[in-house]
Amino acid sequence: MPASAPALAIRDLRFSYPAASWALSVPHFEMAAGEHVLLVGGSGRGKSTLLQVVAGLRELGSGSVEVAGTRMDALRGAARDQARGRSIGMIFQTFNLLHGFSALENVLAALMFSSMPAASHEQRARTLLSTLGIAAADADVDQLSVGQQQRVAVARALAARPALVLADEPTASLDPENTETAMDLIQSACRAEGAALLCTSHDPAMRARFARVESIDAMIHGGAR
Amino acid sequence: MSARTLTDGQIVMRSLRARPLSTWITISMVATSVALLLVLLGMRSAARGAFDRGSGNIHLLVSADPSPLVAVLNGIFYANSPSKPISWAKYQSIRGAFPYQWAIPTQQGDSYRGFPTMATSADFFGKFEPVAGEPWKLASGRFFERPFEIVLGAAAAKGSGLKLGQQVFLTHGSGASREGGEPEEHAGHEHGEFPFKVVGILEPTGSAHDRALFVDLESSWILHAHDRRERAGIEGVTTSADLEDDDRKVTGILLRLPTRAGSDASAAMQQQFDTLRRDTAIVVAQPAQQIQKLFEIVSNVDGIFIAMAVVVLISSALSTMLALYNSMAARTRQIAVLRVLGASQGRVFGLVLTESLVITMSGALAGIALALLGGIAASAWLKASIGLVIDPSLDPRSTVIVLGGTVALGGLAGLLPAWRAYQVPVADNLRPAA
Repeated sequence: MPASAPALAIRDLRFSYPAASWALSVPHFEMAAGEHVLLVGGSGRGKSTLLQVVAGLRELGSGSVEVAGTRMDALRGAARDQARGRSIGMIFQTFNLLHGFSALENVLAALMFSSMPAASHEQRARTLLSTLGIAAADADVDQLSVGQQQRVAVARALAARPALVLADEPTASLDPENTETAMDLIQSACRAEGAALLCTSHDPAMRARFARVESIDAMIHGGAR
Repeated sequence: MSARTLTDGQIVMRSLRARPLSTWITISMVATSVALLLVLLGMRSAARGAFDRGSGNIHLLVSADPSPLVAVLNGIFYANSPSKPISWAKYQSIRGAFPYQWAIPTQQGDSYRGFPTMATSADFFGKFEPVAGEPWKLASGRFFERPFEIVLGAAAAKGSGLKLGQQVFLTHGSGASREGGEPEEHAGHEHGEFPFKVVGILEPTGSAHDRALFVDLESSWILHAHDRRERAGIEGVTTSADLEDDDRKVTGILLRLPTRAGSDASAAMQQQFDTLRRDTAIVVAQPAQQIQKLFEIVSNVDGIFIAMAVVVLISSALSTMLALYNSMAARTRQIAVLRVLGASQGRVFGLVLTESLVITMSGALAGIALALLGGIAASAWLKASIGLVIDPSLDPRSTVIVLGGTVALGGLAGLLPAWRAYQVPVADNLRPAA
């Protein structure tokens, strides 16, 4: 990544689902390296869609998406998958862990698609899990508590040292107390790894945790920044 | 110890272990199909091998049977007693017409408890080899040296329970003797006046000869001369002095032509075969040719069995495909997660295809092991029970073809599930379950 490259730069992005009555339109959006941004908006407004477009999981109609200096929209097929694996970590509301695999293997799964040398994978995974408070790294994820599973999901998202972490409603299914704990974990881990964080939420209480809060509605109607 | 990583192979194995019942059933189906196919192919070559045994180092077989094939079936495989004899004079004429390496007379027709008897000369044990390069071996005793001594084939000894030194009364025809307890109407008459003494028991040869009992020609002639004399009202014990020319009959002549040193083939074979064929009173057979003809006759049935086994194998490949394809519905989220982590569509395609190949390869290897173990067990049982020697080893060419074919089928079977995995819409499968 160039030293001055932003973690995320979106220009003139336009996306719409076939037969949908609305379109996602982002004229300009940028996140500095290591910056934490909360993206708010009501359900169904397109927050998750924007994250998926940024991750290259959906084809944008026009415009550009640049992650850590790499034009994701210009890449196709395996090259885009490889860029996503190396530059972007994703955290989901339901964690989306690989069931039947251990906590360690879930983190190793992210590393197998990274640019990090294979010899360093285990140490990197164990260190991350240990830092995030997972002692039983070899336990099957299905045997872990919900809180522990979330820690594994965070570790997996950060494993490949991504420039950008996309967290899609990571606390939507948690109570307020656990929401605080989870967000503490996610934000502190991202800071420790130097990763930028773009987090979506429809919870107004989350605003206090972020220095920068953007509304998906504002982005659509006039652009942020 | 090297540092741990996660590999494609581990992901494949985890996926298979995640649905053990489906995986094991599919592997078992492939294994059964492969074993069935290999056993059928093995049986075909083993049967061929078993039929090739018995004619040994004979070049030509002469008899008065209706056809050369019948001559071989009767003279070498003891299918039935030859119906027509050849006179001793004819035998001598044939033997004297060409410088054969040997011309061994045989006479069939009598039996003991259903086991056929072969009356022959001492050359039968001295020169004829039941399997080329494998001369007769005695398990105990010795070969016959004088009239009314009998040597037992391995299976005949085992089946009859006869031991060295015991006395045997032969039965005229193929019916059982009185000791066999067969109904009277099925039994030929017993040559009760002439006891034979068991002097030797042969090692198994893996040929039909193992089921036979061997006596010298003169004994057999005396038995039948005695019958003739009884019918004529002549009383008293018949001896060799009572033999007339008409009593001296044979039912077969085993011929071996001169060969070059180190070669089993004879340059004079075709010429001599044609010469003998001109004699309409006899038939002459090249055993190897007749066995080939026999296999051509049964090859259609053989082909049907092989085709059935191939169909079973294809069915198991289809089962593999269905099992994998159906598992895709439950694995779309796992595939989507791998894609998010950086796995390409091609890599996901490869993972599912590899699963199919692992299933079919495991099934094929298990099938080969099953066929091999089954072959060893069957071979041991056949040798112990009927003295039939079947090579339990698998034909390497067939094994490689079946293994390759199975893996290729596995690859084909994996294409559709792999294509489904390739097309999994990633973003749609990352949403929380409803």
